[in-house]
Amino acid sequence: MSNIPAIDRSSRWKTVRREVGRAVGALVIALVVTFVIVLFTSKAPFDAFGQLLTAPASKPRTIGLWLDDVAKLTVTGLAFSLVFQARQFAMGVQGQVYIGALAATYVVLTPLGATWAGIPLGIAAAMLAGAIYGFLPGIAKAKLGANEIVSSLMLNYIAIEACNFLVRVSLPKPQAGVLTTNEFPDTAVYPQLIKFDFLNITRLDLGLVFALVAVLVVWFALYRTSWGLKLRLVGHNARFAEYAGIKSTFIMVSAMTASGALGGLLGSMFVQGQGYGKLTVLFEGGLAFEGILVAIVARSRPLAVPIVALFYGYLRQGAQLMNIRTDVPAEVIGVVTAIIILLVSSSFSLNFVTRLFRRNPAAVAAPATAGGATK
Amino acid sequence: MALLEASGIGKVYPGGVVANDGVNLVIEPGEVHAVVGENGAGKSTLMKILFGIEQPNAGTLTLDGRPVSFANPREAIDAGIGMVFQHFSLVPSFSVYENVVLGSEPRAGIRLDRDKAIAEVRALSDKFRLKVDPLPPVRTLPVGQQQRVEILKALYRNARILILDEPTAVLAPQEVQELFVAIRSLVAQGKTVIFIAHKLPEVLEISNTITVMRQGKTVGQVKTREVTEKSLAAMMVGREVALRVERKPTDQTQRVAAVSGLRVVNALGTEVVAGLDLNVHSGEVVGLVGVEGNGQAETLEAIAGLRSIVAGTITIANENATPMSVLERRGLGLASIPEDRIAQGLSTGSTVAENLVATRLNDKRYVRNGLLDLKAIRANAVRLIEQFSIRVGGPNYTVGTLSGGNMQKVVVARELSEQPKLLLVNQPTRGVDLGATQFIWRTITDARDAGAAVLLSSADLGELLALSDRLLVLYRGKIVAAFINTPDLTPETLGTYMLGLSTQTADEMKAALK
Repeated sequence: MSNIPAIDRSSRWKTVRREVGRAVGALVIALVVTFVIVLFTSKAPFDAFGQLLTAPASKPRTIGLWLDDVAKLTVTGLAFSLVFQARQFAMGVQGQVYIGALAATYVVLTPLGATWAGIPLGIAAAMLAGAIYGFLPGIAKAKLGANEIVSSLMLNYIAIEACNFLVRVSLPKPQAGVLTTNEFPDTAVYPQLIKFDFLNITRLDLGLVFALVAVLVVWFALYRTSWGLKLRLVGHNARFAEYAGIKSTFIMVSAMTASGALGGLLGSMFVQGQGYGKLTVLFEGGLAFEGILVAIVARSRPLAVPIVALFYGYLRQGAQLMNIRTDVPAEVIGVVTAIIILLVSSSFSLNFVTRLFRRNPAAVAAPATAGGATK
Repeated sequence: MALLEASGIGKVYPGGVVANDGVNLVIEPGEVHAVVGENGAGKSTLMKILFGIEQPNAGTLTLDGRPVSFANPREAIDAGIGMVFQHFSLVPSFSVYENVVLGSEPRAGIRLDRDKAIAEVRALSDKFRLKVDPLPPVRTLPVGQQQRVEILKALYRNARILILDEPTAVLAPQEVQELFVAIRSLVAQGKTVIFIAHKLPEVLEISNTITVMRQGKTVGQVKTREVTEKSLAAMMVGREVALRVERKPTDQTQRVAAVSGLRVVNALGTEVVAGLDLNVHSGEVVGLVGVEGNGQAETLEAIAGLRSIVAGTITIANENATPMSVLERRGLGLASIPEDRIAQGLSTGSTVAENLVATRLNDKRYVRNGLLDLKAIRANAVRLIEQFSIRVGGPNYTVGTLSGGNMQKVVVARELSEQPKLLLVNQPTRGVDLGATQFIWRTITDARDAGAAVLLSSADLGELLALSDRLLVLYRGKIVAAFINTPDLTPETLGTYMLGLSTQTADEMKAALK
């Protein structure tokens, strides 16, 4: 029995290698297709494509922007991974981000925000509000049978518009007509992680640390606690979970609630981060939904989420810089995203690709061997 | 000249599983040719190759002496091969004739010519003695008739060779006889039938020739009249097998479980268990006999706490378990081996170790303060893998990579790793090979000998007769007959009650109801 662990580990590495190979393969194919599109649409295709691939790493400032995105993509990716592992297709991270940001804003604009408690209280309020907002579609599904996809998507709109409304009419703002609140007090804004003496502009802040902590917490919860094992069992086979005596509705609702807390945290990372330091209408810019891509490519594995976010964040930043500096719009990145999701979620394998290319030689070879066997 | 010949067939699945390795099969025209072998022997793979679902890596197929290769089922169908799968591919809401003609409809202009379709289906069903009304929707038909629709589908497409994949698995004894009548009439009219089966008595009854497969190879081809059940079983597993289990005398006076007045309604509002009373005692196996769908599965699920009940009480170990959750009932010493291991008994995407502790997540040995004790979970898995000789690379392999028999062993290992007080078993050996069947029978019997009360439901009467102390026959959710198991009790006797042809009086049942 002593050889079991070795075999176990080698099989796990095989899986990891296969998944990584798959993701990289998808990325390469997506980039090739994108290059062809850029080739046809741009006046200076090589320059544009070069920007996409190199711009994010070109300056400390862009590196800061990239890593800041990575932190945010990681958290949304984790939030989606958590519900996906429980096989709940809740799409509510975006709404939780807005509700979380609102809650954080209300807390830090009180006198408390100007004390040392500004950051922790803001985060706590955001996570609590996000958790409640994640709980709603969960309990609606458990008690009323409401489809979580529909209810969470609808809750997103409510949150976005509630945020919009409150910023416009009730929250304190510097002057009438602007679509942002007053700047948060410095004590309520995440401190920068790295300061450059000469150019104090990198956006990288405490959010990155929170993202990494969140990775570890989610991994631990999923793979080292009985809650996590139950959650994964419910996700793999709900009927079996029921038969084994696991309360699957509790697991489902709690997974959606925990995921909501992560969404709320992301809300705080936005508004209390260096990027904003205030609440602005539509501040999130669609990033929350990109967690779906991150979670799918990472196969909902928390430890893989930041790695996928690193690559995807790079492309995302590259596309935005390409948008600014060349004649190719950032929307091109949608093509990359779509192809990657298509390839990864259809479980394509590189074997399939190689078979595609080898098809003709194989077809010629097969009758030859068949003929040989009959003789 | 052989009608269909496969020689030197080799098939390796991606992932390296060698399913066929130099398989030879010679089918003569007009015969019933049985292909037997344990699960995982490669029968299904061979049939999939014959029907064009899989392509072989090596070897040749010849039909009427000409080499052929089928890239897909369409080409096999065009060449005159038809296949009826274990799991039917019918549209439940379509009528019988619509199902039969689907895909090759007779047309009048662009319209489906319904009258012609109905007439053709009627003619076919008369010709081959496959009696089935073409008009009602398929979902209203019993399983035996649905199977006939599948056979008609193949015949409608002019199949000369008909492959039947374990056709008797879902049928009652009387229905099996009807199927055999149909098979004989098919052969009499020039068709050729390939019959895949587990149950040797049936194979001996219906076939002319038998090909035996073992571990992806053909062991041999024999004439049916030259073999016995025993010699055939030995060929299949490569050693002599005892198809009986020895049972110790046990004390059967202590009542462990009692069900009274149980009523269960299914999702459509139909009463599936209609006022059931039964008792199970320590040290006995009570067999629930019945054609599938007469309330056996629902009764077991209700006792396990997986199905809500309309009326009745369930007592386990002298406690009223009616309001208890699944976990609380398990706490009273209940264990259960469910009917469909993949859908209900396992999480195939999780590891073997995780599956083996899934029912004990409130047990201090494996979970403390909400944290998993991975060492203990792993040690438990290693111990059970060894004890139940589960063939797997290690505790962290996902269950989905195991063969059917080994998956079932994982379920059995989990449920019987501790001596249960009450054991519910539903179809423990369906789709499981002979070797594993032996092992599972032995394990269930050991649990009984050690004092467990066992409630067993199975579609295999041989299994029920081999394992049970008492047998209760269910028909439409009621007990219609009860027997104390004796060597004189035959499947035919049970069959008349299973089909509702006769009912015992209360007095007749009394002795066997305890």
